[in-house]
Amino acid sequence: MKQPRPMIDRYRWYELLGIYAGIFCLLFFCLAPFIEGFNVSLKPLSLLFSSPYRFWPENPSFEAYRTMWVSVPAFGRYVVNSLFVAGVVTALVIVLVVPAAYALSRFRFPGQSAILGGFLTVNMVSGAVLLIPLFRLMRSLGLLNTYFAMIVPGAAFLIPTAIWLLRAYMLRIPRELEEAAWADGASRFYIFRRVILPLATPGIIVTAIATFLGAYAQQFVYAVTFNSKTEYMPLPVGLFAFFGRQEVSWNELMAASFVGIAPALIVILILQRYLVAGLTAGAVKE
Amino acid sequence: MSQLALSDLTKSFGAAEVIKGVTLDVEEGEFVVFVGPSGCGKSTLLRMIAGLEDVSSGEIVIGGRPVKDLPPVKRGIAMVFQSYALYPHMTVFENIAFPLRVERLPEADIRRRVEEAASVLQLTQRLQQKPGTLSGGQRQRVAIGRAIVRQPKIFLFDEPLSNLDAALRSEMRIELMRLHKSLGTTMIYVTHDQVEAMTMADKIVVLNGGRVEQVGAPLELYERPRNQFVAGFIGSPRMNFLPGNCLSATEIDLGPLGRITVPARPGLAAGDKVTVGLRPEHLSLSPGAISFTLRPNLIERLGLHTIAYSPLTDGQNFVSLFEGKPQIAEDADLVVSVKAGALYFFDAQGVALPPA
Repeated sequence: MKQPRPMIDRYRWYELLGIYAGIFCLLFFCLAPFIEGFNVSLKPLSLLFSSPYRFWPENPSFEAYRTMWVSVPAFGRYVVNSLFVAGVVTALVIVLVVPAAYALSRFRFPGQSAILGGFLTVNMVSGAVLLIPLFRLMRSLGLLNTYFAMIVPGAAFLIPTAIWLLRAYMLRIPRELEEAAWADGASRFYIFRRVILPLATPGIIVTAIATFLGAYAQQFVYAVTFNSKTEYMPLPVGLFAFFGRQEVSWNELMAASFVGIAPALIVILILQRYLVAGLTAGAVKE
Repeated sequence: MSQLALSDLTKSFGAAEVIKGVTLDVEEGEFVVFVGPSGCGKSTLLRMIAGLEDVSSGEIVIGGRPVKDLPPVKRGIAMVFQSYALYPHMTVFENIAFPLRVERLPEADIRRRVEEAASVLQLTQRLQQKPGTLSGGQRQRVAIGRAIVRQPKIFLFDEPLSNLDAALRSEMRIELMRLHKSLGTTMIYVTHDQVEAMTMADKIVVLNGGRVEQVGAPLELYERPRNQFVAGFIGSPRMNFLPGNCLSATEIDLGPLGRITVPARPGLAAGDKVTVGLRPEHLSLSPGAISFTLRPNLIERLGLHTIAYSPLTDGQNFVSLFEGKPQIAEDADLVVSVKAGALYFFDAQGVALPPA
C-alpha cells in the first residue's frame, strides 16, 4: 500500500512544478556535456560538424564503439592502467588512513592539531605547484616512467582529505563502546579490530570512493609529467591517441571516454552496496 | 575486612578538583548507591573505581589489593554504562560473549556462560538478534548480561535506568534488586534519583560538590540527616526549610509562619539563628501543639495522597503532604500541625543539631 506523504512533505501543484523545474535545470547543466558527448559518439564523423546543428543524431549508430578498438588497439591497456593506478592508490590510502584517522580521532597528543592543520595546508597547495620538485626527485631516484611515480604522489595528495573525512566519521562512534571493551579487558588493538573497524566500515567505504574518484581524476597530471612510456599510460593520457595528425576522431574519442568511465562506475556501484546506513543503531541510548 | 576501600581519593581535571577527598568502605555483598545532584562527581568516582579515570591522589583497595594503577580488567569489576554501550554490529550472544572472547575461553565455556546469563536475564529468545532490534529494557539487560558473564567481584552501574520510561524503570529496578539477591555480589550504583537510591540501597552515599555528605542506610539518612543538604536531597517532596530566630531556648520566631514553642534541646539558645526543617509528610490536618496557618494556591490530588503548595510571604513555597483525599481547597486558609519530635534543626552552617 502506498503510504501517504507526511504533512511536512506535501506541496501544492505549483510548488511541485517549481521543484521539478529546478531539479531539471540543475541536472541539465550537469548532464548536458555528457548528453552531447554521447550524441557525438553516435554520429558518423562526417556529419559531426554539419550545419545547421541538430541535437538528435541522424541515423545514429554504435559504429564508433567498434572502430575505436581498431584505431587505438592499446585502449584496453590504458583503461586497465587507470584502474590499476587508482586501485593501488585507494588501497594504499585506506591502509594508511584508517589507523591514522583512528589515532587522530581518539588520542590526545602534543602536535595533534598541528598535524591536522598541516594536512589541510597540504591540500591547499595544488599538486601542480609541486610538479617540478617532484619531477626532479623522481628523476634523481630513477623512478620516472614507472607505475610507482604515478601512484605515490597520487596517494600522498589524497591522504589529507581522506584523514579528515574518516576522522569526522570516527568521532561519531561513541567513546563508551571503547570504554566498555577496555573495561572488559580488550587491548587497544583488539578494540580497533573488533569494535572500531566494523563500525567505521561505511565511513571507510565513503573514503574509499572519494579516494578512488580522486585518484582516477588526478592521474592525468602525474602521468603526463612522470611517464612517457606508452604501455603505462592511464586512460586520460591514452585518449590523446584519438587525436590524429590530420583530424580528431571525435566520435571515437567520446565513445572511448564513456567506455573508460564505465569500470570506475562499476567499482563505485559495488562499493556502494556496502554503505549501510544506521549501522550504529542500538549502540547507545540517545 | 571491607571488599572495597577508598581512602582520601581525589581527582582533578586541570585546575578543577572534581573529587575532593572521598573515604569509603564497602562490605562484600552490599548494594551501595552513590547519589547526588548532577555534577557532584558521582559518575567520576565510579569511573575511578572502574579504572576508566586515573586517580589524582589517594588509594583504591579491592579485596585487600591496591588497584589504583591496574587496568579495569585486573580489578575484578564489571561496569554497566549509562548508555548501554552495546556493540551494534554483533548479535546479543556476541555482545554478552565479548569479555569471554577477550579472555580466549574455549567455545563451549563461552556458550554455557552466555546461555546462563541469558536465562537469568530472560534473553534466551533474543540471542541471535542485533541490539538495534531490541527495546530499551532489553538492551539494558544485554548490557547487564555482559557484566554478569565475567563473574566480577563488584558490579558498577552508571545511571543504568536514566533513559528508560517511568514504568520500565520501576520494573528494571525490581529486576536489579532480584539480581542482586540471587548473585549476592557487591553492587555500586550511581543515580541522581533519590527514589532509586532509597528503594535499592543497603547503603547510600550522598555526594555533593565532590565530597561525601553522609553515608548510611536509606532510613537512617531520612531520619537523621547530618546536614541540610542531605535533609533536602533525601525525601520527596523535599523537606521545607524555615529560617528562624531563637527568642529563647524554647521559642522560635519563624517569620511568616509565626512563633512556635519547642521542647528545650541542646544547641538552641536565645539569639541563635536556626533553620527548622519540616518534612511535608509529617504535617497533619488534625490540631496539635505546633500549628501554622497556610493558604495553599495549588493542590495536587494523587489519590494515595494530596500535596498542597502554599506560597509564603518570604517567597518560599511551603509544601505539605496529607494521606488520602482530605477536603481542602485552594485559596482557603488551612491549619496544619506537626509533632515537636518531627522537626529538624540546623545551625547557621546547615549542620544538623544533635538529637534532643
